[in-house]
Amino acid sequence: MSRSYGRYALLRAAQAVVVILLAYIGTFLVISVLPGDPITNMLRDPQNGLTDDEIQQIVAHYGLDKPVVIQLILSLGRFVTGDLGFSLQSNLPVSQLLGDALPSTLTLAGTALLLSVAIAVVIAYGVQYLPSRWARGVLRSVPSLFLSVPNFVVGLILIEIFAFRLHAFTTIDPDSAAATLFAALTLAIPVSAPLAEVLIANLDHESRQEYALVARSRGLSQARLFARHLVKPSMLPAVAMIALIVGELLGGAVITETIFGRDGLGTVVQKAVTSQDVPVLQAVVSLAAVVFVTVNLLADLASPLLDPRLDAKSERDAKSERKVVVPV
Amino acid sequence: MTSLTGLVAPTERIRAAGRSAVRVPPTVAIAAVVIIIVLLWSLVPWLFTSYDPSVGDTAEKLMAPSGAHWFGTDHLGRDVFARVVHGTASSVTSALVAVSIGLVVGSIIGLASGFLRGAVDVVLGRVVDVLLAIPSFLLAVVIVSSLGFQTINAAIATGVSAIAIFARLMRAEVLRARGSVFVEASYLQGGNRLHALLGHILPNTYKSVIALAVLQFGTSILVIASLAFLGYGDPPPASDWGLLVASGKSYATAPWLIYAPALVIVITVLSVNRISTWLRRTQ
Amino acid sequence: MTVSIETTREALIADRPLPSTRPEGHPLLSVEGLSVSYGDASVVHDVGFTLERGQSLALIGESGSGKSTVAKSILRLLPTGESTVSGSVNLDGRELFGLPERQFRPLRGRLLGYIPQDPSSALNPVRTIGSQAHEAAALAGESDARVRRRDILSVFERVGLPDPERVYASYPHQLSGGMLQRVLIGLTVLPRPALIVADEPTSALDVTIQKLILDLLSELRRDLGISLLLITHDLAVAAERAESIVVLKNGIVEESGSSSQVFSTPTSAYARQLHADVPALNPDRYRSQRGAASGTTPPAALPAVEVHAATKRFRAGDVDVTALDGVSFTVARGTTHALVGESGSGKTTAVRLLLGLEQPDAGRIEVAGTQVHGQTSAGLRGLRRHLQLVYQNPFTSLDPTWRVGRIVREPLDRFKVGERAGRARLVEQTIEEVGLPASVLSRRPGQLSGGQRQRVAIARALIVRPDVLVLDEPTSALDVSVQAGILELLSRLQREQGLSYLLVSHDLALVRQLADTVTVLQRGKLVESGTVDQIFARPAHPYTRALLEAIPRTSPGLAQS
Repeated sequence: MSRSYGRYALLRAAQAVVVILLAYIGTFLVISVLPGDPITNMLRDPQNGLTDDEIQQIVAHYGLDKPVVIQLILSLGRFVTGDLGFSLQSNLPVSQLLGDALPSTLTLAGTALLLSVAIAVVIAYGVQYLPSRWARGVLRSVPSLFLSVPNFVVGLILIEIFAFRLHAFTTIDPDSAAATLFAALTLAIPVSAPLAEVLIANLDHESRQEYALVARSRGLSQARLFARHLVKPSMLPAVAMIALIVGELLGGAVITETIFGRDGLGTVVQKAVTSQDVPVLQAVVSLAAVVFVTVNLLADLASPLLDPRLDAKSERDAKSERKVVVPV
Repeated sequence: MTSLTGLVAPTERIRAAGRSAVRVPPTVAIAAVVIIIVLLWSLVPWLFTSYDPSVGDTAEKLMAPSGAHWFGTDHLGRDVFARVVHGTASSVTSALVAVSIGLVVGSIIGLASGFLRGAVDVVLGRVVDVLLAIPSFLLAVVIVSSLGFQTINAAIATGVSAIAIFARLMRAEVLRARGSVFVEASYLQGGNRLHALLGHILPNTYKSVIALAVLQFGTSILVIASLAFLGYGDPPPASDWGLLVASGKSYATAPWLIYAPALVIVITVLSVNRISTWLRRTQ
Repeated sequence: MTVSIETTREALIADRPLPSTRPEGHPLLSVEGLSVSYGDASVVHDVGFTLERGQSLALIGESGSGKSTVAKSILRLLPTGESTVSGSVNLDGRELFGLPERQFRPLRGRLLGYIPQDPSSALNPVRTIGSQAHEAAALAGESDARVRRRDILSVFERVGLPDPERVYASYPHQLSGGMLQRVLIGLTVLPRPALIVADEPTSALDVTIQKLILDLLSELRRDLGISLLLITHDLAVAAERAESIVVLKNGIVEESGSSSQVFSTPTSAYARQLHADVPALNPDRYRSQRGAASGTTPPAALPAVEVHAATKRFRAGDVDVTALDGVSFTVARGTTHALVGESGSGKTTAVRLLLGLEQPDAGRIEVAGTQVHGQTSAGLRGLRRHLQLVYQNPFTSLDPTWRVGRIVREPLDRFKVGERAGRARLVEQTIEEVGLPASVLSRRPGQLSGGQRQRVAIARALIVRPDVLVLDEPTSALDVSVQAGILELLSRLQREQGLSYLLVSHDLALVRQLADTVTVLQRGKLVESGTVDQIFARPAHPYTRALLEAIPRTSPGLAQS
C-alpha cells in the first residue's frame, strides 16, 4: 500500500501544480489577449492625473511595452515568487488587498460549507427515513427547487423576511453573527442541492445492496443498520463532491457579498471588474484556483485512506493494465 | 438481491419497456407546457401583452399587481408583466447561445479525449482540469469583463464556463461505449473505427449529453440572470430577467418588482430541470 | 398464531437453541397460499409447501419463477411498499406474517438464517469481516467481546477457512468468493438457527468451489441439525442435496414431492422438460445427430483452427503475469473442440488471441492454414469473415440502440456482401434459421428475452457463412430450458452447414453434450487434452477429476429413468 500510495500522492500533487500554473496562464491570456487594453486606457484616464512620464514608468515596470509572451513570462515569474503586483485602482499591493478581504470571505464560505453539508444530510436522510410517504415526497423535491432559485433571489428573500420583517439581523452591520449566518445560508442553499442529490442516490444505492439485506437478516434494526453499515459508504463519494462545492462557494461569494454589503473577495472582484483592475482580477482568480485545486487534491489523497476498496482498486488497475491492441 | 426486473416474466418486461417509453408523468407535461409558453413569449411577446415594455404612465407608478397589471408597475409606471415577457427573448436566446457553446466545444473535446486517448487525452484533460479549477461563475465574470458588458458576452462567458462539464461527461460516456462488448463485436464483423464511432459510440452517448444540455439550459438562465443582476449585461431599458430583479431591489415598498421576475425565473428553471431529470431516467 | 407474546419473549431470553413451542412431529416450516405481487404484476401465486425439522427442501425454478421472492418473503426481506404479500408462513409454531417487526426481529438470525447468492456483495465493503462477524455472534447472546471473538474464530475454522485470524482482520475484497461464502455460512450457523434459507448459494462461484461449498452445507446441516431451504435453478443439485423438491414456474407450483419422486417420475410436463434439459442428466442428447456430421469429414483434412504453443503475458505493476503458457490445440473441420477451465484459466485469453484482438508473445495461431497475426488490417478483416464469435452475454453484445434487422445485417454491410435487396433477404432467412419470427427484425434488443438475444447474436455471426464459430460460454447467462434450445440450434446448424466450433466453457456436463474433443486449462497451462470419451472415462489429471466430480452426481437408481 505505502509505496504505490506514495507514488500516487506525488503524481497527483505534481498534476495539481501544473493545473494551477496553467490556470494562471489561461487567465492571463483571457484578460490580456481579448479585445480592449484596459490598463493603458485606465492609466490614460485624466481622473488619475498621471503624467506621460509616470505612465511610461508604470508601463515599463509591468513590461506592457513588450510582446504578450514576454509579459506572460514576467508575470508568471512574479506569481511564482509570490509577487502579485499592485492594484491599478488603489495603488496598494494586491497581496494586501486580498489579505484584508480574505478573513471575511473565509468566514462566510466556511459557514456556508457547514450549512450546505448539514442541509444536504438532513434532506437525504429525511428522504430515506421519514415515516410519512407524503413528507418524503415533499422533501425529495426540495433539492430540485433549491437548484432552480437564483442565488440573488434567495438573498433578497432572506433579507426581506428576516431583516425587514422579523428584524433578526440588520443589513447595516453586515459582519454581525446573525447577518453572516443569513449570508452563509444564501450561499449554502443552491450549493446544498447537488450534494443532497448525491447523498440521496448513494444512500438509496447502498440500502439496496445485498449486504444491507444480509445485515437485516441478522436482526439489525433500521437505526443500527443505518449507523453501522450505511453512513460510511454513502458518505465516501460525497467527499469528492464537497471539494467541488468549495469552488462554487468562491464563485457565489461575489453575489452574496454584494447583496449583503459585506467586504470580502467577492466585492474586491466586483470593484476590480468595474474598474478593469487587471492585477487584482488575475490574483483573485489564481487564488481561487489554488484553493480549489488544493482542496480537491486533499480529497483525492484522503479517499484511498478512507475507503479500503480504492486502495485495492488502484493496485488492481495497475496490475491488469493491458496494452490494448486496436482491433482493426 | 435479485433485481425486480429479474423477477418479472419476460413478456411482462417487454410490455413494461414499451409502456414507459411513451408514458409522460403529469409533472413533466406541466413542465413542457411552461417551457412552450416561455418559448412563445420570446418569439411572439406581443401576443401575450398589449403594454409597451419601455413606455409607462408615471401616474400609475409602483402599483401592486392587479387585473390590469398582473405583475404590477415599476417606478416609471411601466407594466412589469410586459417587461418580463419582452425580456424573455434576450434571456432565453442568451441561455441557448451559452448551452450551444458548452455543448459543441465540450462534446468535441470529450469525444476527442475519449476516442483518441493517448497524448490528445492528456493535453485536453489538462485543459478541462484548468477550466474546472476556476470556479465557473468567477470564470464567467472574468471573461465578460474582458469582452465587455453586454448580454451576448455574458452568454459567451457562461458557455465557456460550461465547456468543462460537457467535456467530462462526453469523455466518460465515450469511454464507456467504446469499451462495451458490442463495439468490439462490430470490429469482429469487419467494422472500422469510423464506423464504430458513428454507428455505435455516438448513438449510445448522445442521450445523456442531451439531458445535461437541458439541465445546463436551466443553469445558464440562472448564471446569465446573475451576471445581469450584477450589471454585466445590456443596460436598461433592456429588461433581462436578472436585470429586472436588480432594478426592483431599490424599491422596498414594491416587493413585486423583485418577486414577479424572480418567480418567472424559478418556474422556468424548475420546469427545465424536471424535463432533464425525466430524460435521464427514461434512458 | 396461537403463541402468546410472553412465550416468545421467554424463549428468546432462555438458552439457545430456541426450544420449540410446538410438540415434535409438526413441520418446522409450513407455507400456505403465499402470493406476492409488485404493483399489478403477480410474481408468486398460491405457493404452499412444508419442511420437516432437520430436513432439506429445494425450491427450484428458472428466472422469473419467483423462487427468490418466496425465499425473501419467508425472511420478510422484500422491499416494503413495493410489494404486496398475502398467505401464511408458519415457522416453529409462529405465524411470521402476523408478527410486528419488533417481535420478528429477534427471530432473525437466531431462528432463521440467510445465505445470499453473491458472497462478494454480501458483506459491507468498508468494514472488516471481524467487525461484521460480531453482529452475528451477538445473536448467540454472548455479551463478552472476547468470547465472541473466540466463537467467531472457531466457527471460521469449522467452515474450513485457513488462517482465521487473517480472515478476521481482512476486508471483504481481500478474500476470494469461495472464502467469503465460507465466512457467510460460518456466520449464519454461528447462532445455531433452526432453519437456513440459502438463495442460490453457489451460482456466483467456480464449479470446483461450488461442490466444496455444497458439501460444507450438507455436513453442517447433518452435524448441527439445521433445516435447509435451498433455492436453486439446478435440478441435479436439488436432487443431490435435498430430500424434497418444489418446482416453480411463473410463480406457480408445478410439482412437489420427495426428490426421488420428482426426479425419477416427474408428473408435470414442466418438470419432465427440465429433466431433459439439464446437461448433466442427458450426456448423449445431441450425440446421434453429431455423429453424422463429424463422420463425413476425412480426418486428414487441414484443421479449421490450429494453435501452437501460444503464450501471452500481461504486465501487472512490477511483475509479469502469464495468462497463457505454451498452449496448443486444434479444431478439426466440422467438429466441436472445447476449451474448459475456471476463471483465470486463460480460456478467454486464448479466444482473444485467436480472433486477433490481442497479440501473442510467442507461438503460432492459424485459421484454415492462414496465420492470424502479422496480418494487415485488410487481411485480418478477410480472416474474420471466416471466423466469428458468439459472446457470453447477449445483454451486452448487441447495441441497444439498433434494431435487430440492422444488427444482423451489420456484417453484410461491413464486409460488403451481395447487393442491398439480397442482404435483406439473407437477413430474413438467417433469422428464420435461428428459430426467430420475422417480427423481431423491427425490435430493439431491450424488447427481447435473453434466449432471443442470443439467437440474434448467433444469426449475426452466421450470416457471413463463416467456417469457424467461437462460442464463448454461449449459454452461461441463460436459463437451463433456454440453454437447451440454443444447444439444439447450434447442434443443428453444425450438422446442416458443416461448421467448426470452438466452445469455451466451465461446464463439463455441457461440454460432454456438445464437444468431440476437449482441452482442459488451469492457470494458463494445458493440463489435459483428448476426446470427450477419453477425458470423461479416464481423466488423467487431478484437476480434470475435480472438475468431473463437480458435476452433480445422480444416483444410479435415479439416472436410469
